[in-house]
Amino acid sequence: MKRSFVSALALLAAFTLPAGATWWSPGDGTPFPAQYDDADADGVTRLLLDGGPMETKGHPFFEAKGTYGRACVTCHQPSDGMSLSAETARIRWQETAGKDPLFAAIDGANCPDLAQGERASHSLLLDHGLFRIARPWPPVDHDEQKIEPDFTLEVVRDPTGCNASKVWGLSSPNPQVSVFRRPRPVANFKYILAMGFAIDPKVGKPLPIDPETGKMVSGNLMADRRVLSLEAQMRDAAHSHLGFDALTADDIKRIRDFEDRIFVARQRDRVGGDLDDGGAKGGPETLARSQPGRLGSMGAAVFSEFAAWEKIPADAGITPEQRAWRESVARGARVFREKMFLITDSAGINSPVGFGNPVRNSCVFCHNMSQMGMDVAPGQVDLGTTTMPFADPQPHLPLFRLTCKGPAHPHYGRVIHTHDPGYALTTGRCEDVGKITLQTLRGLTGRAPYFASGSAPDLRAVIDYYDRRYNIGYTEQEKRDLVNLMGAL
Amino acid sequence: MQRIMAALLALLSFNSVAQADDAVRFISCPVYRDTDAGRKSGCWLAEERETGQRFDITQSATKPDWSMAVLVEGRIAQKQDNACGAKVLEPVRVSILPDQACTRAVIPAEGFPGRRFVLPPRNIRPLYAPDPVPPPPYTDKLFPIPFDYGRDFVVYQQSDWMLVNAATYAKASGGGVVITGYAETEPMTLSGQTLSEPASLARSRAEMARLWLVSLGVPADRVRVEWRLNPAPLADPAFDGLTETSRRRVDIRVSGQTP
Repeated sequence: MKRSFVSALALLAAFTLPAGATWWSPGDGTPFPAQYDDADADGVTRLLLDGGPMETKGHPFFEAKGTYGRACVTCHQPSDGMSLSAETARIRWQETAGKDPLFAAIDGANCPDLAQGERASHSLLLDHGLFRIARPWPPVDHDEQKIEPDFTLEVVRDPTGCNASKVWGLSSPNPQVSVFRRPRPVANFKYILAMGFAIDPKVGKPLPIDPETGKMVSGNLMADRRVLSLEAQMRDAAHSHLGFDALTADDIKRIRDFEDRIFVARQRDRVGGDLDDGGAKGGPETLARSQPGRLGSMGAAVFSEFAAWEKIPADAGITPEQRAWRESVARGARVFREKMFLITDSAGINSPVGFGNPVRNSCVFCHNMSQMGMDVAPGQVDLGTTTMPFADPQPHLPLFRLTCKGPAHPHYGRVIHTHDPGYALTTGRCEDVGKITLQTLRGLTGRAPYFASGSAPDLRAVIDYYDRRYNIGYTEQEKRDLVNLMGAL
Repeated sequence: MQRIMAALLALLSFNSVAQADDAVRFISCPVYRDTDAGRKSGCWLAEERETGQRFDITQSATKPDWSMAVLVEGRIAQKQDNACGAKVLEPVRVSILPDQACTRAVIPAEGFPGRRFVLPPRNIRPLYAPDPVPPPPYTDKLFPIPFDYGRDFVVYQQSDWMLVNAATYAKASGGGVVITGYAETEPMTLSGQTLSEPASLARSRAEMARLWLVSLGVPADRVRVEWRLNPAPLADPAFDGLTETSRRRVDIRVSGQTP
């Protein structure tokens, strides 16, 4: 069970949080401290509000808006690294007998037309941390104009029933595809929005242009990149998750101010101690002070924040357990950067850009941004987590059969079976099926399960998936080191 | 003057290529040799069926896909390192032919080391450390942009760098820009197969170049786009002496003066 406490710095700023509280309800009114430490059984995740504490009373991120009784904070909980874990959803279900606005029928249920209040109707959120994301079918562009997709879409099976629903399904008056995804963390946006280069080599084009501002943007927002700016994301989220269509310019400005200032990272490990101790530079302070959008291969190597732990002096004054854990984290960073394997049949990597299929590289081929491990170029890539034959069995999810009308998909062929077409639901292009925007790798511990469809219940499962998918051949030690590294991010 | 000299040198190079027996063009299925000298160090091989010679095509900016045939256009390198266990082609251009399926072939390193990845000279600088803007005076300048056979995809660490250079120059000069896209629709027979590009590719290549220039800051109203078929080969350093590949290109002509 988690417990939250306010750091010494925040105490100095005279802000307190309710003792033992982990859930931040809309309208709670508790000031957001400059530094917020969330402790769990394995350590502490720290949130840093760069620039100082902030009143949340009346703040549009924290106040309920719209018809569902939710605020942004409902699904972006400070105690979950500004995302939401499945465990937290389950606890909230028990605490409120399923009455919390978190479980709103619109997306907190497997389908809005299921019997609300019954656990089975919310099983995807409770068991897998998944929210229903309804995408228009056929897709629409940023001007809400229909896109003619170059593939057909059929439902093979749907245990949620939503894609066959007369009100919410593909044949409804407002046709939509229901897919189920994890909420992304609202933090570290300096990095998510950063543009290291003006181009996206993976698609052979310049970075996308935000239609509202006419300016180039990173293209790293949201799982399927359906919006290009935080402002558009706010409106999209307010509409679809809050039932609110009246965000004002001032609301957007205040949310943006908060989102620009919030950083999250693991700060302390139960065994290893402080992650910025002994020359290491873990924790959110480094994130707040570093320049974003830098390519690790040209500057600070990805996760070299733990390089000082590669050779810990004999007189470091730490316990043998601490030493072993810190060395493991440092080894994990090396494995992350240096363990080479053949990347195969992954659209966005092996096609259409000419890296080759296969291409030998390591995790940092895609997770290449210093400090953050995001993709400096927009990260729409298909790892296969949602698409057969690479996806692990996910019988709880809908399965779609997509048939390419034009050229076949470069790796899956003409007929594709997927739980989530991903980026293709934005572009309408067969070649984009299964592509998902890379996630940020910071503050991971508080927000299991992982991958966009929540298919990895814990960090070890993430490593195991990659090991299977790309036949990497990690040793048991390497797997433990990678898990420790990810737990230290 | 520099451009003219470079073009002349390239033309000489083209002539020697055209006449020399070190020029190679063929279609084949690629073979991946699983060497490991770090990132991007695997070897790509392809056998010319007509002669039974296996070539190392790894140095192409576009690498093959193991399930698709490739069009190989290159020249036997003067310097052979045998890093991959086949005769090295360099320069070399590989075009993927997605309509021609191949059986995947991966062979072990067999003692060949492969090559450590070296950042190629044609790579775009990051936004936080851009190349300096070219100084005046700004004269009329041609930027030819190569494309792979059958594609309008901008080749990474090759054509993308050239497009950025064109955009940088056009922004600095303030002059007008004329983009001419080309496609090679005249059939060519290689390895017993006839290839020809669709005429529509000329336009889509030109539009792609326009997208790049405008996105990179060249005012749209200064850019004019046209497209044509089957140009004469162009001897230009952009093609590394593989002048036959230049028929699949876009020409970006930047005026040195504000229109």
